[in-house]
Amino acid sequence: MHYPWWYVPHLTSPMLIAAIAVVHVLVSHYAVGGGLFLAVETGFARRTGDKEYLAYLFRHTRFFVLLTVAFGAITGVGIWWTIGLASPLATEVLIRTFVFGWATEYVFFVIEIVSAFAFYYYWDRLAEKTHVAIGRIYGVSAWISLVLISGITAFMLNPGRWLESRSFWDGLFNPQFLPQTVARTGGALLLSSLYVYLHGSLTLGDRRLHDLIARRSARPALLGAILITVGGVGWYAFLPESARAVLDAASVLNVLVMLIFALTAVVFVLLYLGPYRNPGWLSPGFAGALMLFGLAAFSTGEFIREAVRKPYVLYNVVLGNQILPEEVAGLRQNGYLAGGRWTRKILDTDYPRLLVDGRLDQDRMLALDEKDQIALGRVIFQYHCNDCHAIERGYSAVGPLIVGRNREMNLWTIEHLEQAHFFMPPWSGTPAEARALAIYLESIAPKRPGGMYPLPGGETRP
Amino acid sequence: MDPFDASTLPGLPAPFWFVELFKVLGFTLHMVPMHLWYAGAVLALGLYAWGGRHEKRFGARLMLQMPVLVALGINLGIVPLLFLQVGYSRAFYPATILMAWFWLAIVGLLIPAYYGVYLYAFGLRDEGVAMTPIRRAAGWGAAAMFLAIGFLFANGLSLTGNPGAWPKLWQAHSFGGAATGTALNLADATLWPRWLLMFGLALVTTAAWAVVDAAWLAPREGPEYRRGVQVLSGRVALAGSVWATIAGAWYVVVWPKATTSAMLGFPTVLLTLLTAASPWLPAALLWLGRRAELSRRRAAAIVAAQLAVLALNAVSRQIVQNVEVHRLYDVSAQPTAVQWGPMALFLVTLLAGAAVVGWILAQVLKARS
Repeated sequence: MHYPWWYVPHLTSPMLIAAIAVVHVLVSHYAVGGGLFLAVETGFARRTGDKEYLAYLFRHTRFFVLLTVAFGAITGVGIWWTIGLASPLATEVLIRTFVFGWATEYVFFVIEIVSAFAFYYYWDRLAEKTHVAIGRIYGVSAWISLVLISGITAFMLNPGRWLESRSFWDGLFNPQFLPQTVARTGGALLLSSLYVYLHGSLTLGDRRLHDLIARRSARPALLGAILITVGGVGWYAFLPESARAVLDAASVLNVLVMLIFALTAVVFVLLYLGPYRNPGWLSPGFAGALMLFGLAAFSTGEFIREAVRKPYVLYNVVLGNQILPEEVAGLRQNGYLAGGRWTRKILDTDYPRLLVDGRLDQDRMLALDEKDQIALGRVIFQYHCNDCHAIERGYSAVGPLIVGRNREMNLWTIEHLEQAHFFMPPWSGTPAEARALAIYLESIAPKRPGGMYPLPGGETRP
Repeated sequence: MDPFDASTLPGLPAPFWFVELFKVLGFTLHMVPMHLWYAGAVLALGLYAWGGRHEKRFGARLMLQMPVLVALGINLGIVPLLFLQVGYSRAFYPATILMAWFWLAIVGLLIPAYYGVYLYAFGLRDEGVAMTPIRRAAGWGAAAMFLAIGFLFANGLSLTGNPGAWPKLWQAHSFGGAATGTALNLADATLWPRWLLMFGLALVTTAAWAVVDAAWLAPREGPEYRRGVQVLSGRVALAGSVWATIAGAWYVVVWPKATTSAMLGFPTVLLTLLTAASPWLPAALLWLGRRAELSRRRAAAIVAAQLAVLALNAVSRQIVQNVEVHRLYDVSAQPTAVQWGPMALFLVTLLAGAAVVGWILAQVLKARS
């Protein structure tokens, strides 16, 4: 619309954000919790003079640096890359609102990188106290990064008073800030213990060390699980009314929420019975299972966090189809295709006769032959619908959703989009454009499958 | 393509000069480590494979430092990209969306390149006895990927400044009016010299780094090594300057009319000439002093000269970008809604952060000594 839409077949471009984001959070939370783990445990090992434990911590630091500084940092950049490509208008609003939040977070990121390298490469050469202090600097910096980023991601779900004040501080300290910070802190603690268990169980043969690690990492992990639960409850409590309704209405989200609580409970019980009470249970298989449960809970949580914002990308600021809510009325009046700079270019180039005084002429559009209606309907679909719907196959593809619906039924749904499905963005075009979209949808609708109750007249396709 | 009227969007959160200042400053700092992997990696690998004793040693040293340099390069690259998106979003986003898959490929290439560098560096331990064909291939693969990443960046940023090319690329690479993200700005005459110019500058930066490394970071290497590195860096800097001059001249020749008028008109022409001539200063210092004793003072002078080269380059590029994007909209005329409090928070954090980083580096230097 305002920016060219990026068409990603089958997946849809916003799902690329989700895919990269999920991968990133699984490492970035470890980057925070793992930093705290290394700082605390290195201090403990040095205090107690446990050389074997220190040797293990050094090996773990190498693994930590290789994973977080390389993969974690680049996938973080990857999210930023993808949001600009798949959701440029929302990214523009976010960057202009929070550039100094990001810039401040960046300073802590620099400190993280420098301290991580100093901590690892000068392990034996720094004075003991200095070494531990640098570990702590890393841990604190990483946690502050988490806090700042939580404020920005929480803003997307509930900007709170920012909607009136447009103040940076209102935006950052939004109603979702505290719950998400608590949940993410818990996630960082829990996930880092799970990484430690997996790494330790795979690389350690020494029974004493094995049990020591199992015991010492159990408490932060249990605390993490509790914080996730507390933060999760807070997240639900401070959801905007619409998001809560989305959660209630989408059965898949209900299942996923239950799944998160179930997975978190399973992880909690396994942690308590395993590493906390019976450290000897911590075999590679046990640690791997714990890790899988933890990663599944995390990934599910991120998916839900994204999904409940519908119909917005930025709650009450940018709609899912990359327009501002205040633009809807004008687009309904003058035409969706005529209102976007890129869609307008198509009219200018291929259908200049449809434009009268800069507005889309309804009668001329309705008079187009079916081939042109389908062509323009496809353009409208790409810019108005492809954010959330693949075409014939793929993520939430529209094809399977319209099986059995005739043109008039589709037309009614399009024109009453936010009424037919309250979590969808409002229809933002003229009646003639709605008709073109309905004709396009009809052209891609799959055949009604056999074995269904027959339509009146025995038709197999509407 | 006209930009849209987005008067309801938040204004620039800082005065435009602030956005430009941090963009230019960030890009200048980013170029230092980025140059060391862009041209430095391929040079170091070549020297390690086919160079004499000192060349081989320098190649190994640079590749051992490479994991940290890559991290710093990525890290410092965030600043200019952040401020680019603040001030130039309406040119930057359409351009990168048109080539979305290639733009995203930068991230996809960077991950294996980074691990390739690590693999190669692991192979260099214990005087290279751990080097295996796979590790060697990983290093060369990483160097190739860095060059490819540079090419993709040159594409994205040349397309950002070339809105006239958008409609044609969009129409050729679209489905139902949506960009397929498979366009590249190959028809832009500025693309190739732009890419090559950066490689020439990167060679000079690598040469300057070689003497910095020899003067400060290599106390265990003997005086012979230092002499060898000086000779090497003199040659590399000279080659880099010749390369940069040729590529720079090519770039200027193919500038669009508006850019030529702006950059070759008085008084901006003075800056253009200074930018073009500047790589010869560090090159001259390196070449003329290649037989002299390497002192830290001389190394510092070379670093200062190269930093000035990079800063001049960043400023000139910024002016060129402003002229190019002006065809789309006047970036300096955007409404502002300055966030003074958050800006102060950032600046204070930046100062405090610099102090913390300074303290950590001081501890590291103490440990080294």
